[in-house]
Amino acid sequence: MANDLGFIDPTYSGGNGQIAMAPRPLDLAGKVIGLLDNTKEQANLILKTVGDAFVEQYGAARVIVRRKEHYSKPARDDLIDEMAQEVQIAVSGLGG
Amino acid sequence: MTAQVDEFEFFLTKPWSDGFPVVTPTEERVQRMLQGTHRDPDEFLGNIPLTMGPATVRTVAIHAAMAGCKPEYLPVILGAIPIMLRKEFNLNGVQATLGPSAPLMIVNGPYAKQIGIHGGNGCFGPGFRANATIGRAIRLMLLNLGGGVPGVGSATVFGTPLRYTACITENIDHSPWETLAVSRGYSPDDNVITCAMVESPRVYHDNVSAEPGQLLVGIADSMHAMGSFNMLRKNSDTLVAMSPEHAGICAKAGMSRSDVHRQLCELAGSKIGELKRGGPWAGKGALRCGYDPDDDNFFVPAIKDPSYLHLIVAGGLGPQTAISLGWGGGSFAVHGKYDA
Repeated sequence: MANDLGFIDPTYSGGNGQIAMAPRPLDLAGKVIGLLDNTKEQANLILKTVGDAFVEQYGAARVIVRRKEHYSKPARDDLIDEMAQEVQIAVSGLGG
Repeated sequence: MTAQVDEFEFFLTKPWSDGFPVVTPTEERVQRMLQGTHRDPDEFLGNIPLTMGPATVRTVAIHAAMAGCKPEYLPVILGAIPIMLRKEFNLNGVQATLGPSAPLMIVNGPYAKQIGIHGGNGCFGPGFRANATIGRAIRLMLLNLGGGVPGVGSATVFGTPLRYTACITENIDHSPWETLAVSRGYSPDDNVITCAMVESPRVYHDNVSAEPGQLLVGIADSMHAMGSFNMLRKNSDTLVAMSPEHAGICAKAGMSRSDVHRQLCELAGSKIGELKRGGPWAGKGALRCGYDPDDDNFFVPAIKDPSYLHLIVAGGLGPQTAISLGWGGGSFAVHGKYDA
């Protein structure tokens, strides 16, 4: 979109692609936590440590673990949908 | 522009460039760029990951103008975007990766020559407007529409000079063989773009080998390393760009392009025992690829599938071959025709 300076902002997209952030819970007590293993080396160990802490220290109800097919590709839609149905909070391994 | 605003400095203060000054995208310049196509400016081509900014004919024209393209370059860029957005190319992954790869465009067909895409002396380097600006337009879109900014959306550790621009063609005037596109079944009259995720090339210099047996062993040696993704990842593309001189050594000995391609696939690689000497060896990679990590004599091929090797003839006259190693993040090279 041109502005008063006479040039076009190359990043302007007219508001498309805005994603609303999910509300953050104030505590983890009783929550179901989803851990998404991105298959990177030792991601499973790190996530298990995080998941155990959520239960033991913060009172989460339980943890479910799911694993992507590839670290550099998005998780399958059905995997995301499954987690979205079951968990209130999700933690993902990040990196590729 | 007002007298108080230096347009070049203004753009450089924004995260809108690759660090070099851009051609300020005014409406006049964008309209002039759109004269390079008959397509509707509002035509939607796809969303550029990571941030999924829309690539339309108009937004492509904006970035082509910023990059310094001529209007006649626009069809190549418009053709490249849908090809790069194919799911198997995994542009999303390479935008975010800590790896250095960039989507290299190899443009074959008569239109490449018509608009001056260069495949001869210095083709990977500066000095050729079509190469420089077409590739730059793609990169600017990856930054501005895709959000692949280092340290923000992109975790790339080093980046690569290939991320400034990555667009070449073959040196068909001095090549003894058919083009990459023709070898894949396209007509010589088809305008084709091949995109492969690769790193900046390293150059193999060999002014000694006079016959292909010796030469190809040397080239193959540069096609892999302990830490290269093509050894212990299931798929990774590799580019081999033979200079006309090196290709000529093989052709003179009666080898076709497919003969050379096949032999490089057979030669490039290492035994498990060699890989175990150090580097990123942990056994898991071998298992992931279906190899026995305890079989030290097993030869691990760098080219896991013939389609992962992209053999071209490019560069100037001289005894060198350029090799670009690929990425290991699950990207498969893509190719297709585009309308000129």
